[in-house]
Amino acid sequence: MDFKSVVFYLFSAVLVFASLRVITARNPVRAVLYLVLAFVSGGGIWMLLEAEFLAITLVLVYVGAVMVLFLFVVMLLDINLDRLREGFWSYLPLGATVGALMALEMGVVIGGSYFDLFENRVPALVTDSNVKEIGRLIYTDYVYPFEVASVILLVGIVAAIALTGRQRRQTKAMDPAQQVLVKASDRVRLVSMPSEKLEDSVPQAGE
Amino acid sequence: MLENYFPVLIFILVGAVVGALPLILGWVVSPSRPDSEKLSPYECGFEAFEDARMKFDVRYYLIAILFILFDLEIAFLFPWATIFKEIVSTDTIKWFGFAEMMVFIAILVVGFVYAWVKGALDWE
Amino acid sequence: MTLAEMPFILPDLRPASAELFVLAMACLILFVDLFVKDTRRTAVFALTQLTLVGAAVVTWAGTSGEVVYTFSNMYVHDFLADMLKQLLYLTDIIVLFYARAYVVDRPLLGRGEFYTLTLFATLGMMVMISANHFITIFLGVELLSLSLYAMVALNRDSATAAEAAMKYLVLGALASGLMLYGMSMIYGAVGSLEIGEVAERLQAGVANHSILVLGLVFLVAGLAFKLGVVPFHMWIPDVYHGAPTAVGLFIGTAPKLAAFAIVLRILANGLLTLSYDWQMMLLIMAVLSIVLGNVAAIAQHNFKRMLAYSAIAHMGFMLLGLAVGVVGGDARFTLNAYSSALFYVVIYVLSSAGAFGMILLMARAGFEAEDLDDYKGLNRRNPWFAAMLMMLMLSMAGIPFFVGFFAKFAVLQAVVASGQIWLAVVAVIFSLIGAFYYLRVVKLMYFDAPADPTPIQAPLEVKALISANGLAVALLGLFPDTLMWFCLLAIRLSLSVFA
Repeated sequence: MDFKSVVFYLFSAVLVFASLRVITARNPVRAVLYLVLAFVSGGGIWMLLEAEFLAITLVLVYVGAVMVLFLFVVMLLDINLDRLREGFWSYLPLGATVGALMALEMGVVIGGSYFDLFENRVPALVTDSNVKEIGRLIYTDYVYPFEVASVILLVGIVAAIALTGRQRRQTKAMDPAQQVLVKASDRVRLVSMPSEKLEDSVPQAGE
Repeated sequence: MLENYFPVLIFILVGAVVGALPLILGWVVSPSRPDSEKLSPYECGFEAFEDARMKFDVRYYLIAILFILFDLEIAFLFPWATIFKEIVSTDTIKWFGFAEMMVFIAILVVGFVYAWVKGALDWE
Repeated sequence: MTLAEMPFILPDLRPASAELFVLAMACLILFVDLFVKDTRRTAVFALTQLTLVGAAVVTWAGTSGEVVYTFSNMYVHDFLADMLKQLLYLTDIIVLFYARAYVVDRPLLGRGEFYTLTLFATLGMMVMISANHFITIFLGVELLSLSLYAMVALNRDSATAAEAAMKYLVLGALASGLMLYGMSMIYGAVGSLEIGEVAERLQAGVANHSILVLGLVFLVAGLAFKLGVVPFHMWIPDVYHGAPTAVGLFIGTAPKLAAFAIVLRILANGLLTLSYDWQMMLLIMAVLSIVLGNVAAIAQHNFKRMLAYSAIAHMGFMLLGLAVGVVGGDARFTLNAYSSALFYVVIYVLSSAGAFGMILLMARAGFEAEDLDDYKGLNRRNPWFAAMLMMLMLSMAGIPFFVGFFAKFAVLQAVVASGQIWLAVVAVIFSLIGAFYYLRVVKLMYFDAPADPTPIQAPLEVKALISANGLAVALLGLFPDTLMWFCLLAIRLSLSVFA
């Protein structure tokens, strides 16, 4: 077993352990943190496959940003842990069936002779770094999908702002800059009025 | 190819060891005699009033999602940066390769200005 | 290979000028919305409508019968795309006019985002309609779906809308996943994602058939989700019901055109060699949809839910047309079958827009005319609108001499031509069963006493538009030839089988 395999098994072991903990962890915050670990080890495995761009994107985007969002959502939702676990046994048969089916499918795909195309499909021309090769494609042939992707990101921004929106101003913090600008005339306004006699419209004290 | 990343691997391993070792040492070496009083949350001598979990403001979520979107934008800039020299030195796509990224960024700048003016970025 | 060695030609932007125009205008409107203080958003509304009209002009100026590829064959410009885009703009314009009063009455809905998201969704549909590459198709679908999810949830305070948005998002994401998985399988088997190239390589017969079929199953399942046919229909009733009616109107109309386009491009242009496999899947889904849609619609008391099940049945009927294009490797009936499906989807969009438009017309601030009972005695409250709604319902039911009848007739003709008489019989029987619930609406309007006798208020343009919509259904029924001719032309000029 060469060094590369050792590293592969190391990452895989961490990945399997972390994924198991994601679904078994009692505390959702911990589950999210295990998911981070799973993503990092997944990134390591991709790196071993020399898919550098994907590996870096996985760490940068998923670990760096998506998981932060997950954490916020987990905290945002104020999940009741006990209620969450209630349905476990009733969902188990269905979940187990789906899981078994998926495992079977994966076995068929990986174990079978279906992807015998692997050998001749790998382009032999990749001599440069993976990131450069991707760049050469994205910015030439794939320029149209690339720009559409930016529009999708834009819609994401618009949608997120529209949905979370801005309710009312909640804080009552003061703005010192506004405070020092205040003038005496803003505080008290003296109004001169002609003096009036108290008529009997005002009830006298003691009546 | 992969050899270039060997220092990164070493770094990850050292990081993992430095992170995990004190925890393991503490778990192994230190005495541990927990009782219910020690483990209960301490709140100025009172019984705990409520759960430590509380609802977060939805603004955190908005900031996080905006962060993801702009993070993705950055991810698209990396491959462009690596081949930028090549783009500039190839006559046929010199300006095209530059313009398309500017369009990409411009579309997201629209989103950025939108978020800014809408007040999605201020915290009050 | 360095950039200089790559066989890359600078893309010609002219075929995509309509998309570029809509994108630029959408960004502009986003800015305008920021600085306009008017709570009715009249400026945003007007600009959005102008954008759609402008896009129609741009598309019109670029229309020719030729098939032009650009962006390294990712984008296709052909007559089918032009026709569907024109119909798309028209549908959007109608939708926005119908929705206008409704959203103005509801402050959370009537924000500028309603209009900008509509434009972005339209852009997504345009990308779908002109897609010639699996990645472009996927991105178009995502752009459309993302805008729609947000639009359904736009009314933040409504729990039903939030629930509908959630269901739509989860199931939509699942469908996207299925589609993507199918695409990756096909890529694994064929080695290309470009539709024309996929077709060529399939013809050459290099690909492994079983892996292709596995990919095809996932792809068709994903498409069926987006079309909303049984057994992938679960989201339709909930989303139609839960979404604000104005958004429901949009979801129920324009996206069907775009979905039709991608189904045709993927299955008929890309995977025609596998037609035996996917026609079987489409047939099963079509029959199930017609049966379930028509039967379940009878049990509904909510008009929107009823329309949702009717949408399922109609999409099933449309699929029938797509499922009988190739008979035993013979493409003689392809033209008729596909153009009948196109005709069907166009007519469905027209009638569905009118029916939803009536719900919007009847609704007021703080009142939704969702229940079938709200339509009781409509004839006494406003005989003209009752007549319009009656025509729309009769057309949807497929009563002769309304255009819905010709749509059904064209599809049935294609089915019979393919030799599957039993299929036509099933379709007819369940359409007759389906006619019951359309006629029930007519009965409620004409023979029951109104619960609320107040006359109906509506802006002039909406009155005019709904009248035009109802009359169009009747007039097209008398003269269906022109539209049919356009459908035939679009299919003949644009599908690679006829090239």
